[in-house]
Amino acid sequence: MSDYILELNNITKNFPGVKALDNANFRLKKKSIHALLGENGAGKSTLIKIITGVYNQNEGKLFLNNQEKSFSSPNEAMNAGISVVHQERNLIRRFSVGENLMLTNLPKNNLGLIDYNTVAKESKKWLDIMELDIDPNTIVSDLTVAKMQLCEIAKALSLESKILLLDEPTSSLSPQDTKNLFALLKRLVAEQDVSIVFVSHKLEEVFEICDEVTVLRDGKNACESEQITNLNRQKLVKLMIGRDEQIIKSKKNIDFTDESLLDLQSINTDLGHKNINLNLKKGEILGLYGLVGAGRTELIKCVLGLDKINSGQILLNNKEIKIKSPKDALEKYKIGYISEDRKKEGLILMHDVLSNAGITVWSNLKKILSFLNDSIVYNKVDPYVKQLEVKTPSYQQIVSNLSGGNQQKISVAKWLASGTDILFIDEPTVGIDIKTKSYLHELIIELSLKGTSIILITSDMPEMISLADRIITMKDFKVVGETINNHNYEEMSSSIMGNIHE
Amino acid sequence: MSALLKKDWFGLGLVLIFGSILISLFKPAFISPFNLYVLMLSVSLMLVVAMSQMIIIAIGQMNLSVGAIGGLVAISFTGLMEVYSMSILPAVLIGLLIGLACGFINGYITVKTGISAFIITLATLYIFKGMNLGITEAQPFYEIPEAVKFFGNAKIFGPIPYLVIIPIIITVLMWILMNRTSLGRYMLAYGNNVQSSELIGISSTKIVIYAHVISGLLAAIGGMLVVCRLQLGTPNIGDSWLLPSFAAPVIGGAILAGGKVDVIATAFGVILVSIISQALVIFKIDPFFVQIFLGFMILLAVFINRYREYREERRTKVFSDE
Amino acid sequence: MNNKIPNFVKTNQFGLLILVIVFICIFSFSTDGFTSRFNIYALSRVVALDIMIGLAMMVVILTGGLNLSLGALGVSAAMFGGWCMESMGIPISITIILVLAFGSFLGWINGFVTVRTGVHSFIVTLATMSIYFGFMTLLTEAEAFRKLPEAFTDFGSLKLFNKYISPLLIISVLTCFVLYYIFKYTDIGRKLIAAGANPDAAELSGISVDRMFIYCHMLSGFLAALAGIMLTARIGAAIPSMAGHLGFDWLLPAFLAPVLGGTLLSGGKVTVFGTMLGAILVTLINNGLYLIDVGEFWVRFFLGIILLGAVLLDRAREYFTVKNSIVS
Repeated sequence: MSDYILELNNITKNFPGVKALDNANFRLKKKSIHALLGENGAGKSTLIKIITGVYNQNEGKLFLNNQEKSFSSPNEAMNAGISVVHQERNLIRRFSVGENLMLTNLPKNNLGLIDYNTVAKESKKWLDIMELDIDPNTIVSDLTVAKMQLCEIAKALSLESKILLLDEPTSSLSPQDTKNLFALLKRLVAEQDVSIVFVSHKLEEVFEICDEVTVLRDGKNACESEQITNLNRQKLVKLMIGRDEQIIKSKKNIDFTDESLLDLQSINTDLGHKNINLNLKKGEILGLYGLVGAGRTELIKCVLGLDKINSGQILLNNKEIKIKSPKDALEKYKIGYISEDRKKEGLILMHDVLSNAGITVWSNLKKILSFLNDSIVYNKVDPYVKQLEVKTPSYQQIVSNLSGGNQQKISVAKWLASGTDILFIDEPTVGIDIKTKSYLHELIIELSLKGTSIILITSDMPEMISLADRIITMKDFKVVGETINNHNYEEMSSSIMGNIHE
Repeated sequence: MSALLKKDWFGLGLVLIFGSILISLFKPAFISPFNLYVLMLSVSLMLVVAMSQMIIIAIGQMNLSVGAIGGLVAISFTGLMEVYSMSILPAVLIGLLIGLACGFINGYITVKTGISAFIITLATLYIFKGMNLGITEAQPFYEIPEAVKFFGNAKIFGPIPYLVIIPIIITVLMWILMNRTSLGRYMLAYGNNVQSSELIGISSTKIVIYAHVISGLLAAIGGMLVVCRLQLGTPNIGDSWLLPSFAAPVIGGAILAGGKVDVIATAFGVILVSIISQALVIFKIDPFFVQIFLGFMILLAVFINRYREYREERRTKVFSDE
Repeated sequence: MNNKIPNFVKTNQFGLLILVIVFICIFSFSTDGFTSRFNIYALSRVVALDIMIGLAMMVVILTGGLNLSLGALGVSAAMFGGWCMESMGIPISITIILVLAFGSFLGWINGFVTVRTGVHSFIVTLATMSIYFGFMTLLTEAEAFRKLPEAFTDFGSLKLFNKYISPLLIISVLTCFVLYYIFKYTDIGRKLIAAGANPDAAELSGISVDRMFIYCHMLSGFLAALAGIMLTARIGAAIPSMAGHLGFDWLLPAFLAPVLGGTLLSGGKVTVFGTMLGAILVTLINNGLYLIDVGEFWVRFFLGIILLGAVLLDRAREYFTVKNSIVS
């Protein structure tokens, strides 16, 4: 008998065109906190979805308490004692905390009606175990995000879950909330016989609370159930990004004393950005680094006019401008935005390649009476689609049928075609194969060499250090640091992380 | 007290009380026994119809066929009694069965195909209405047993008609359903968040079908109550239900995206709509104005609900990442 | 994918076309009078209106929304036209322009409220339906305008092509071509479709989605007003009840035509000629049902069944179609 509560052996999962997991192993010891690490697209989320019954593996076996299992729905996994703790996502927001905790088994009185006194009493027990000072009658939507998350954990406990999966649990928590959460997790493991899978980008948190580490890279195990005491930060980073990851050094010389092309001055926004100052030089790639929830994408969306800027100025070539909408940004100021979420915001999946690649240039191409036909659009976008080597059977192909890499190329192509001076590029290589990834990196550098100024948002540290000329670090909707990139990975990453965690 | 202020029905209740006082100050006829009697009759009928729509709104869908079900049941009920000389009780039971079946069809098709309930119930609206017209050839049934007529017209005491009994019972039962039973809570949970309710094992199929069956039953009861009231079964019963059926729940703070309905507030919404209609009659304002007024009330309610929702979102949205 | 089959054959419109032909054959052989000049002329007048109503709904379905106020809006515009001509003595051509502008304005209200509140257009147009119809009845006192200029009513009863076809049908078919042109060959048409298909992506690609949605509602109002004028010309009078209570009689044909024609209810796809064929099919079936004597009261029942069948097919198609052009 092994002392593993959960074992996944030689798991392989194929998606059309991609092997998301390739013979991956994962073993969770009873009463331990186990970190599951890997870069975006390394297969972490696929593995989690197999554990929680969202996906079924193509090959390999899953053992729970030494018994082979296969879950056909998240509900089955939950009944078997596996709960995922999302942020606020699984609660019924208009119901009270108590009712949410008891929802699967609401206590009834003699008449068969729900007894809310017992609901409050029973749920209070779980809140007490967690030493949570929340009135069970509070409506969930009145709680802070941190409290909601704790309620999710309480709910998982009330369902008698023995395995908790925490996916980036601290991304929207304050340092104090994070500390409380960690104390709680340690106590749960010690007192409640619970095992925890912990997924996080923040390595220092991993070192703080985890016992063992499994790292995935390109769907394979880079390491398996390694004792945390055998590792240090550098080793862990190497495991995650692989040894052969190169830092490209662009041969650019930006004079940072030059006049700025785009200048944000003391920007405060409706979303909570405080006193943001940053400037972008001509031909520069300015990196915006930060953890999830640092407010980078949100800042860009405010600049594009999608959310309100309350005070401060935006200068373009030293002239103050007001951007009302992305349309304004594109047509008046030649600013474009490549979204991080290409399926939802970047592309119109149900439409064809031509219409997706040409959407930004229609306005420029239209003839008298707004006339525009396919061949006009084709002539304009074809060079860019060719340049990016988009693999598609035809321009009439529906975009949803293309691979992720080709989809991303199209969402880049449409902005190349639009000929913008400034491009905001948001997480350009998430979930994309290595080859397309390095191709896109070269392209971004080439663009900047040709004079396009770029603000690059990425959570991928090597990517950031490869591409950016200068790196601005953001945290909690504020700018916390600025560093000129010398393309030395060790130096730069510690300097940036230093900015975040001072 | 502050908990009271938060309730959807509280503000509406105040509007109702002050509005009624104001109207009766200007026109004492408003609180005449006859007028109260008429008011109660109209509230009774609308209450059932509004509940029938409300339960579908609770799960985040809509039911356009409420009126068509009511009409079909109304003519079946009277037809059975007139043509087949059936006695009242079996006729009522068959009427309820028809309503149940209609609701089941709506729910089953909606949940099994995943097509929006709007379009399914638009189709069944025409199917049920077409059956109604096909059966009656647009002719009313006049032969109604005396007992039914009595129930529709007589008063218990003072101005209070017998007809209010069933709607009041239904309202109480609906309140219990939505607030004190797992089924009702699961419907609201489903309307709030389909994914998370499925995650904890709430069956979509069951919830959607139950909601539509209850909606069908209520529409059937509504149809039969109108028969009692009108003393005949005409094929056009239910034709004008659509607008008020949405108006009352929406005025009562229901959010069409689902997961938020309030039985008491919906009842108050019904009373408000009835009082306004009545007041417009008393003030001799063109009855067509009622229609316009109702339209504006819906828009106003939508604006208010939207604003409240926006504020609610605003509070938690800021630091959530996505 | 079998490349030997031309793409057109795989489309929904082709299936519809076959169905239309099949029904024509069935009705021609099985009933008397289906191919008579009188019947074909009558059909052409009905079909003209159904096409227009279907198009008016289609352009809102494009946004993923609905327009319940279609009938009320069309009748209100028609009554406005009747008032212009009869009471104000405004010339026909100017009246038509005014009516179309009025319809577009009512459509603008629908669009504006929908966009600004972010509430689904269902509830907005449910309310405006009631408001438009209420105001119309209030202002006209439910009285019809029956003394319209002869030139106007004559046009409605004109018979073309050896007295087989009503000029109203020509208007509808022309409108189809114009809309097809707009959606296929103009910048604005492409933007309307993109906005309907994925509002977020369209907005971030520099399209003003709100404006596009308002345009769609205005276009819907315009087409509904046009349908209102056509109906007025056809019956020779502007009557408040000509589309039923609250304009509800228009609602079923309005949904049937685009849904049969293959317009996706979730938005982002238009099928102008599909809608036209859908309207023709509905009218044919309607007419055929009368001719084979199912009894006029059962017609509604069968139309409901057809709508149900159409949406089920629509659902099936989402699973099975691999490719489909955006404008057809």
